[in-house]
Amino acid sequence: MSVNLRQQWLHGFLDVCLLCLLAERRDYGLGLTQRLVAAGFDEIPGGTLYPSLVRLEKQGLVETDWVPSATGPRRKYYDLTAAGHEAVADRIGSWHQFRDSVESLTVQAQRARAERLG
Amino acid sequence: MTPAEEWSRRLDRSLIELGVEPAEARRLTEDSHEEARGAGADPSELYGPAAAYAVRLAQAVRTPQPRLSTMPAGEVVLRLSGVSKRYGRHTVFDNVSLTLRAGEVAAVVGANGCGKSTLLKICCGTTAPSGGVVERTARIGYAPQQGGVSGFLTPAEHFRLFGAVHGMGRRKAVSTGNQLCRRLGWRPRSGLSAARLSGGTQQKLNVVLSELNSPDLILLDEPYQGFDQDSYLDFWDQVLKWRDAGAGVLVVTHLLQDLERVDHLVELHRSEDQ
Amino acid sequence: MVSAVVAVTLRELLRRRRALVLVVALPLAFYLARIDTTGQAIRFLALGVGWAVATLSLFTHVSSRDLDQRLAIVGASPSALVAGRQLALTATGLGLAGAYFALVALTQDVTHLWTVALLLGTSVLIAAPLGAAVSLLVPRELEGALALLSIMALQMLADPDGTGAKFLPLWSTREFTTYAVDPSGGADLTQGLLHFAAVAALAAVITWIAGVLRLRPRRLPVPSTR
Repeated sequence: MSVNLRQQWLHGFLDVCLLCLLAERRDYGLGLTQRLVAAGFDEIPGGTLYPSLVRLEKQGLVETDWVPSATGPRRKYYDLTAAGHEAVADRIGSWHQFRDSVESLTVQAQRARAERLG
Repeated sequence: MTPAEEWSRRLDRSLIELGVEPAEARRLTEDSHEEARGAGADPSELYGPAAAYAVRLAQAVRTPQPRLSTMPAGEVVLRLSGVSKRYGRHTVFDNVSLTLRAGEVAAVVGANGCGKSTLLKICCGTTAPSGGVVERTARIGYAPQQGGVSGFLTPAEHFRLFGAVHGMGRRKAVSTGNQLCRRLGWRPRSGLSAARLSGGTQQKLNVVLSELNSPDLILLDEPYQGFDQDSYLDFWDQVLKWRDAGAGVLVVTHLLQDLERVDHLVELHRSEDQ
Repeated sequence: MVSAVVAVTLRELLRRRRALVLVVALPLAFYLARIDTTGQAIRFLALGVGWAVATLSLFTHVSSRDLDQRLAIVGASPSALVAGRQLALTATGLGLAGAYFALVALTQDVTHLWTVALLLGTSVLIAAPLGAAVSLLVPRELEGALALLSIMALQMLADPDGTGAKFLPLWSTREFTTYAVDPSGGADLTQGLLHFAAVAALAAVITWIAGVLRLRPRRLPVPSTR
């Protein structure tokens, strides 16, 4: 699959992915990038990641906190607000609906293809 | 100045140019700088070029559009039934019909000289149709192609004048106007009259004046001419935001891109003389 | 609404620096050209003030045409727009007239000085709607300026005693001038006042009706619900 297409898709779902990661535990920017990679996505550029986090903060779904670090400069931690937790539940529901719609179409297409070939 | 500081300075300046409040711009810049330090990376490496990053950040912090229209969604705001326009024996267009509801966008397209602006003037009520019926809601906004602003007046003076028409207080009109400008990525400087603004910025003023009164229907005649690429994208973004905020939008355009996003397409063809 | 239009028009006028300098300079040039004969100097000053104000009015109305149209489309009252523009122009004109009245009072020996004030004031009150009326008939500033030039040239050249002169807008100025300078000169102040009132009323009514007709959008019915 082309990197370009994957990036476009992730772009559309980045907010959901970030909310889900933060629902698991609070994290700082670099940590989120690493966890996205661990989940199987391509590395996301900071120029895309941080504006998304700023938008979520603006929407009141995420709050931030500067935490001093023993080893180096302080880090900005992102965490869900109460509204953020509600939004996660809401978006997971929406995602499942959306995924099911796409899934049903792909299954149909696969079946049609199999019949034509078989 | 280190490269990181230089990058931050450029980010701060770009954000302010894009209409972000200076205090917020400073906060975003400081945060970005700190965050890069925390990640142990050079900001230009982490975020990319400052100017490009500023555009994305500015879009992210832009305040969401408040609900515009007072109309329930789906209410008809403009209805054209078999509208035609003739000058003598020359038919400009014939039998144009459209039902535009609150929360929908319609685009009027066609080559130059096929009567797009005439159709818009008919919707404004300044030109009489030769045939057909025009029904339209009363609370409208209108951005003409040109001449919609006075070169001798500052943006704030425009806001006060248009605010007076809509029965808004002076202060309310100016603060609303400035807020709408920021949404188009522009922060008006006081004391600068419209004639001294760039062509694209004048058009932004033109567009902002059309939505000052939170109208139910916005009529626009190619108001993005002179916009640069980013502002052009922001313009369509704005059109869709108006739609989402519940207003009906009618845009006259000769550009055929971006039309997949509109709800209705009115195509005018150059008709032959009959 | 009217006050907002007045404020905006005054600001626009003040920012048209070059036009403003010409407007101030023109009557002065007329005045200085005839300074040796009091009556002529005052009459030409009044014509100069009238011409300057009419031209300023013309330019203001032509340049604000598109903006006023736009304001009317979104709900501004056409009468308020016309009235606001006219009030601002009249006030500016009266300010100019006041300054020149002071100049005359200081430099000329006039029997009925108050008539000079009347004369300059009436010129402004005629010129402001005259310029507006002309602006409604012409597409651009150039044509309007030429039309005003013709009217003013006729006004200066026509024999004031001929019947044709009575059809020119500023005929009354001569009556007032004669009365101001030489009360025994057989001038009829009442006739001058009547002429002024008739011309000013006619110009104002034409301006108002034509302005409203031009600005008022067609009334469009509100769509039926579904």
